[in-house]
Amino acid sequence: MKIYFELNGRPQYVEVEPGESLLSLLRRLGMKSVKEGCGTGECGVCTVLLDGKPIRSCITFAPKVQGKRVTTLEGLGTLEDPHPLQRAFVEAGAVQCGFCTPGMILTAYALLQENPAPAPYEVREYLVGNLCRCTGYKKIVDAVLLAAKWKREGRWR
Amino acid sequence: MRLRGVLRFHWARDVDEALSLLRAYEGKGAILAGGVDLARSARTDIEGLIDITGTGLSYVREDPKGLRIGATTTLSELLFHPLSREYAGGVIAETLRLVAYPALRNVATIGGATVSAHPWADIPTMLVALGAEARWRNEEKEEKASVEELYKTQFRGIFREAILLELVLPHWDGVFVFEKIGRNAGDIALLNVCAGLGLREGKIAWARVAVGARPERGERLPWLEEMLLGKEPDENLWKKAEEEVKERIKVGSDRRASGEWRREVAGVLVRRTLARAAGKAVK
Amino acid sequence: MAVILKAKREVVGQNVLKVDGLPLATGQPKFTLDMDLPGALVGKILYSPYAHAEIVSIDTSEAEKVPGVACILHYGNVPRVPYTTAGQGWPEPSPYDTVLFDKKVRYVGDRVAAVAAETEEAALEALRKIKVEYKVLPAVFTVEEALAPGAPIIHDEEDAEGIYDAKRNIAAAVDVPIGNIEKGFAESDVVVEATCELPYSQHAAMEPHCVIAYFDEDGRLVIRSSTQVPFHIRRVVSRVLGIPIHRIRVVKPRIGGGFGSKQEIILEPVAAALALRTGRPVKMALSREEVFVSTRTIHPAKVRVKLGAKKDGTLHAIELEAILNTGAYGAHGGTTLYNVGSKALPLYNKARNLRFHGKAVYTNLPVAGAYRGYGANQGFFGLEIAMDMLAEKLGMDPIELRLRNHIRTGETSPIFEKLGEGREGKPQVIRSCALEECLRIGAERIGWYEKRRNPRRKGPWAYGVGLACAMQGSGITGVDMAAATLIMNEDGSFRLLVGATDLGTGSDTVLAQIAAEVLGVPVEKISVYSSDTDFTPFDKGAYASSTTYVSGNAVLKAAEEVKRQILEVASEILEEPAEGLILAGGKVVSERTGREVSLSEVGHRAFYVANQRQIAATASFACPESPPPFAAFFAEVAVDTETGIVRVEKFVVVADCGQPIHPKLAEGQLEGAVVQGIGHALYEEMLFSERGSTVNSTFFDYRIPTVLDVPEIEAILVPSDEPTGPFGAKSIAEVGIDGPVPAISNAIYHAVGVRLTRAPFTPERILAALRTKDKERKG
Repeated sequence: MKIYFELNGRPQYVEVEPGESLLSLLRRLGMKSVKEGCGTGECGVCTVLLDGKPIRSCITFAPKVQGKRVTTLEGLGTLEDPHPLQRAFVEAGAVQCGFCTPGMILTAYALLQENPAPAPYEVREYLVGNLCRCTGYKKIVDAVLLAAKWKREGRWR
Repeated sequence: MRLRGVLRFHWARDVDEALSLLRAYEGKGAILAGGVDLARSARTDIEGLIDITGTGLSYVREDPKGLRIGATTTLSELLFHPLSREYAGGVIAETLRLVAYPALRNVATIGGATVSAHPWADIPTMLVALGAEARWRNEEKEEKASVEELYKTQFRGIFREAILLELVLPHWDGVFVFEKIGRNAGDIALLNVCAGLGLREGKIAWARVAVGARPERGERLPWLEEMLLGKEPDENLWKKAEEEVKERIKVGSDRRASGEWRREVAGVLVRRTLARAAGKAVK
Repeated sequence: MAVILKAKREVVGQNVLKVDGLPLATGQPKFTLDMDLPGALVGKILYSPYAHAEIVSIDTSEAEKVPGVACILHYGNVPRVPYTTAGQGWPEPSPYDTVLFDKKVRYVGDRVAAVAAETEEAALEALRKIKVEYKVLPAVFTVEEALAPGAPIIHDEEDAEGIYDAKRNIAAAVDVPIGNIEKGFAESDVVVEATCELPYSQHAAMEPHCVIAYFDEDGRLVIRSSTQVPFHIRRVVSRVLGIPIHRIRVVKPRIGGGFGSKQEIILEPVAAALALRTGRPVKMALSREEVFVSTRTIHPAKVRVKLGAKKDGTLHAIELEAILNTGAYGAHGGTTLYNVGSKALPLYNKARNLRFHGKAVYTNLPVAGAYRGYGANQGFFGLEIAMDMLAEKLGMDPIELRLRNHIRTGETSPIFEKLGEGREGKPQVIRSCALEECLRIGAERIGWYEKRRNPRRKGPWAYGVGLACAMQGSGITGVDMAAATLIMNEDGSFRLLVGATDLGTGSDTVLAQIAAEVLGVPVEKISVYSSDTDFTPFDKGAYASSTTYVSGNAVLKAAEEVKRQILEVASEILEEPAEGLILAGGKVVSERTGREVSLSEVGHRAFYVANQRQIAATASFACPESPPPFAAFFAEVAVDTETGIVRVEKFVVVADCGQPIHPKLAEGQLEGAVVQGIGHALYEEMLFSERGSTVNSTFFDYRIPTVLDVPEIEAILVPSDEPTGPFGAKSIAEVGIDGPVPAISNAIYHAVGVRLTRAPFTPERILAALRTKDKERKG
């Protein structure tokens, strides 16, 4: 079957299998930032934004994005022009192996859209479903708070 | 992930269409809302997925009967809805904040949680305690029952041919609170408790207590509720409730926790939730 | 190991941006499976449903008929070559008790067959259609059962090598007495004993194991793998499949975490065999469930520690006994066992009478392997709880007891010589140790003395503080070797080629900093390329806390040689001797005249102008000793005395890793390791059915810490100066996991007076312990 959706601001009209996961579709479309860590929605490395809200692409049926907006990390910034959140993650030392990073950054992005001045506890509540085994999370929370500060300073919107 | 064997995906425009599609698949169709459980299942017998998120069942409203929550309302929508924040002392938000994590709550629906009714789940315990009513429709008729009664039936069979439409949470003149213990944050419950009470003239006018994940699904403790009626809310009463629960509650063991632990801690949680509910009710 | 005086440093000690940080943060396709290979087959494995069984027959005829199936491998159609999956230096100390596919299966999850097919669906369907007839054998699931007389023999194959006593299911054993242990206890004023038990747990790196194997345009086998040990993979695949080493190339792209789980050669020989048989690229990606069931785990252990001390707290005798469950295969069994003693015992070197003994025992449960800590965490679990008991019995502050006994700069321990990598070790003197300072700072940050004196109580919540100390090593003495190649480009930038395997730790960055410091350039001028057996020189791989120290020293040596060559060219240009020239700030300056020449000028001259040559060097460093990092851990916990819930309120870890090359990355190592340790302390445990199958093989039921579970953590680095380390550095990757379990147990004891010796300390276990204590008090 064919579905239509917007991927990182670009229209897509693509063939999908009705039982296929969004994760599988996105990786087929070259969005390799979308990772598989568990396949059951528990770890968060496959997180993408659907109409701006974080969801788990591994347990989302691909046809469900019909007519909607999907954002992956590729849609946030590039190597040449990274998003401030991406820079904040690097500056704060929040990236170790980097496998959880795409899901973390996208989830943090959604948080900061909803709440530009989160308290540390609110950051932690929002990221609770995104597992990281490398960092112990401290520097990830630091990174989100740093990006939030930059946002409040008007360095990004 | 790929659900093997699925041939078609349908976006039902209304409940009637969803029901006729469901019948047409003769048992090989599946209703899909958030899809969380279905996507995680290893089922290979499903040929058609019928998405009902576009059938107008996403809403939260209030009327004299209570709070009406459409079945496809996501947990996030419900959690942040102003009406649910005010309802029964804020118990909906208190419970839902402890259910999974934001990205799951953004897709999982209240209807899905009600129908899946995992024994360890938090939402069924809350719905049972609140005396929620479920309304559903099959091809012939619309039916309703309290969630508590529904769970005593072979309800999974009902929803093979029917679609849950909405939940009605009655108004309560009082306060409910919810607590759970998991192994860590974001975990399912090893034990959960939803308790509520109303006070009139310094005495307990009504009380409702449901304990779940023990490891079976949440059920009320009618004997405890009765015991509390007409009593003055104080530490001694809660202590007595705790002893009563430790004495009488039915618990079991699974790999997550033993019955022995559940028995003791159920008493503690009941005492704590009642005390907290009473404290809030006085305010 | 050049002696570099402590001087002002431009790059080392600075928190430069991680060299792969931005590519990772922008989601560049850097991981193993991010490469699409046209025409790749999907490889899948059939796992044993039985814990112990003989394969009577295997029939693949129906499976072969499944459309799209290209190849099915099993014991009947592959060569039988015993090897070990442990990715260790040659000759491996682990037993050769594994073959590609065997006639016998030894745990639920052991591999029976492998399929390569056009699609995952076809491969899975083929797996379902392989008919295997098993003769089920009696199985053993505990070390006690495995050691009992008449127990089934798990490794009865004749061609296995290096098993200590196969008939008794003992993979490895050790017994090292020093002094006279019995006499030592008899002479002691106070004796305590603790037995601690660590269960099965798993690394749970976010990226599941995966590999792509294919033959390139020259017919050479290329293995692109998520691994910590590319060079060991090349050697082992060569051995198992009979392909010459020069016909194999192993590429390590970015890895999504390892923690030891990828120091194991699991999928690579299978994928390579499927590629070899089909002539097609083969991609294998394990599901999370497969990772849990079929890969590797920590070494579950029962550790008994007996301490004898004089009245003043001086330790006089230490007996340490470790019984490890190594699971169905012995990979890392003996070496992890040795490490329990070789890491834990030297910390308190004042005791003259020692005995370390133990066994690594086969069972029909999943295979234990390398896991961060590697025996040290097992050893310190027992030791540090015993020290807490001893302090109590002596009426002495636990910090004071440590200060009285811990090893200091200039001192040694006989253990270094007696215990090495599964065999005897080498003598070693401690050249740097700031543990005393670590203890002092940690005590201050947690509020130790005040909180020990006046434990808080708030309703049902009881608060307590506890501590533990630990040390690790920096590489494996006499075994590990690393090499680095540094090449200058004509514009004055450099390529640093290292076999060192950055698995997310940031070692590429640390190594670049070391080179940049020597060469007087910013890190951006150094392009690091790590781990490709065709293009980078040998490195043992990323394990045993070795990269900063061992690989770092290799980089340092290479950089100094390159610096010498640069100065040589510069001296030709400036027409003065190299001795008076300084390399700094991207140029060479004459001390005498102040004249300068840029690195670009140097490069262009060497490439194109006069006396032409490539400025480059390769240097190796073999680990002559293994300087230990030290750490002190302080936990503050709150225990709900009514439910048994433990909350870690605050955790302070203070570590001496020598001079931190990149402080932020070093802190990150500590923070990550502490949080893993908190998981081990509070909830992580693999559970098995009566038939030996893993029942909690998902993150749904195997819980690892989330961001909400993490307490306030303070990770503090106390620099010492390790004279043998690159710019004074020692390791940091593992030591952080050694302390949380005992520190939390000790804090629980302080809070509620019950000694938790079986991890994890679940609400259930704590409540049970509290009730037992209540009964004892009443009874």
